[in-house]
Amino acid sequence: MIFTLAWRNLWRNRRRTFITTGSIVLAVVLAVFMRSMQEGVYQKMIENVVGFYTGYAQVHQAGYWEEKTIDNSFESMTALDEARAANPRIVGVVPRLESFLLVYHGNASQVAQVVGISPEEENGLTQLGGMVKEGEYLRLDDQSVMIGSGLAKKLNAGIGDTLVLFGQGYQGSTASELLPVSGILQFGSQQLNDRMLYLPLPVAQGLFAAPDRLTAYALDLQAPGDEVAVTAALKSSLPEDYEVMDWREMMPELVQSIESDRLGGYLTMGILYLIIGFGIFGTALMMVAERQYEFGVLTAIGMKRRLLSQVMTAEMVLMALLGVVIGVAIALPVVVYFHYNPFEITGKSAEGYAAFGIEPIIPTAISGTIIAWQTLVVLLMTLAVSIYPVIKILRIDPVKAMRV
Amino acid sequence: MNRTISLLFTLLLALQPAFGQSAKDIIRKSEEIRRGVQSSQAEMTMTIVRPDWTRTMSLKSWSKGDDYALMLVTAPARDAGMATLKRSNEVWNWVPRIERTIKLPRSMMSQSWMGSDFTNNDLVQEVSIIDDYEHRILKDSTIQGRNCWKIELIPHDEAAVVWGKVISFVSKTDYLVLRSEYFDEDGYLINVLQSSGIKTLGGRTFATKLEMIPMENPGHKTVLEYQNIVFDQPFTDEFFSVQNMKRVR
Repeated sequence: MIFTLAWRNLWRNRRRTFITTGSIVLAVVLAVFMRSMQEGVYQKMIENVVGFYTGYAQVHQAGYWEEKTIDNSFESMTALDEARAANPRIVGVVPRLESFLLVYHGNASQVAQVVGISPEEENGLTQLGGMVKEGEYLRLDDQSVMIGSGLAKKLNAGIGDTLVLFGQGYQGSTASELLPVSGILQFGSQQLNDRMLYLPLPVAQGLFAAPDRLTAYALDLQAPGDEVAVTAALKSSLPEDYEVMDWREMMPELVQSIESDRLGGYLTMGILYLIIGFGIFGTALMMVAERQYEFGVLTAIGMKRRLLSQVMTAEMVLMALLGVVIGVAIALPVVVYFHYNPFEITGKSAEGYAAFGIEPIIPTAISGTIIAWQTLVVLLMTLAVSIYPVIKILRIDPVKAMRV
Repeated sequence: MNRTISLLFTLLLALQPAFGQSAKDIIRKSEEIRRGVQSSQAEMTMTIVRPDWTRTMSLKSWSKGDDYALMLVTAPARDAGMATLKRSNEVWNWVPRIERTIKLPRSMMSQSWMGSDFTNNDLVQEVSIIDDYEHRILKDSTIQGRNCWKIELIPHDEAAVVWGKVISFVSKTDYLVLRSEYFDEDGYLINVLQSSGIKTLGGRTFATKLEMIPMENPGHKTVLEYQNIVFDQPFTDEFFSVQNMKRVR
């Protein structure tokens, strides 16, 4: 009964309804799109850093993350393979042995981050194979290295050129080796391009005089978010000599920068909603003023004030819902489109992104939470705004009201 | 009157060196004791001590003046034959395993030498302890029962020195540097170099044991022990060449 009345009332003055609904639609579209884009950028950042390199969680010798030296390595173990067999959330266990070495080619020398990898597992986690620009992806039994394109350029080295690797091995031994380049990698991140050097794990273990030792196991998980449960489980099952860290622990600065940026986003949204809120409030005011005579007559002929205010609120909520539904209907395809066809940043700012290790694209995140939150916020706002007409109606004096 | 005073001052200034040696002279003398006036040739072991492992290497070293130095690893087998050569401002490594000479970039000079607590700089002495520092005698003190000068060394502004200040204790009788304290630019004590095992070696009183102790890492140190040292043998400059670095035994 109330809703039927409210619905009919809405279409009695179409222009008013259109204006109000329109402003809500605009708010929802803007808010959903903005938030989706923001969250999309964060996801991209996390995916880039986490997916291309660290993985969502890692296991090291206790203290390694604090002091990343090859002396803080550990002997490879089977415990994690068992954990993978038992826990379907763990998709891959990716062993690595890494350190820094000097790399020479001709007269050029560069410091490189040298990572011994198990090529197949590594590809499963970071899709490293897809980064190969020239040459071929490593095989476990190769005696060669893959280097980032930036490093290759600085060393003036191409496929087939032999590099000299020299530096510090395990427990003060000397690491030195001659290895040919078999692949050149192109990462989205300039940082990785400029410093990465990959070689097969057995070669790395020989080079660093660290047989059977690793600096980390990176974990490939079924879905983002699984890292919390998996780290907790591994922490309790592994001895205390090991540390299990998820990406939030490994990269607190990334988490912090996202948090502070997100806060900024909330602020912008708050301002946007405040403007829209006053818009809706304006329509509510106008509506009450316009329909004062009508309300007066209705109360005079015995309509209960409470019932009248309920009809009024229902009208407002219906408008809000209508606005949200239309808004989401407009925003969703746009968000989905830009998720699959992200904005590409070009020129100078693209270089800036690349320097920070982030691919220069802005995709949107498709998230039910975002949509649900926008709907909720708009509805609550409408309810808050309808307090004014409700009070007006409850206090209405029919005689005065009809004498307008 | 004025003339008399200025004359007095001139006299005082002229007389000053005669009152005692300057701090610089003391440091120069101690350097000559340690490395010879012209050259030195030594055999030693280097032991790297870490909380959970130790590692010992045998080394041979040659030096001539400030410009030339050569170090050769003779054991363990994996690293034997590796050599480090200093020629004026250049540092080269010879790595027999890969048959390559490698020129060390300047950025690596303050990095650890073969995993020890000595840096490349410490071993090849790119910086002259005599010319690149300002020296000042602080006061007398006693180390290991020996009377010492306590000397403060402040690097010149343009010198490529990582330290903010070095305090050296030099024994008065033998000019041995018994202890050096290395402070960073904020005045924190970073490294202590301690000498002991004072014996007659190579025809002079010599501290045969050097311990480099990094203050920030408890349980870490590197011990250098001299077995043998010969001073002031004639060496040609060609001895300290990249070619000879590959051949030297």
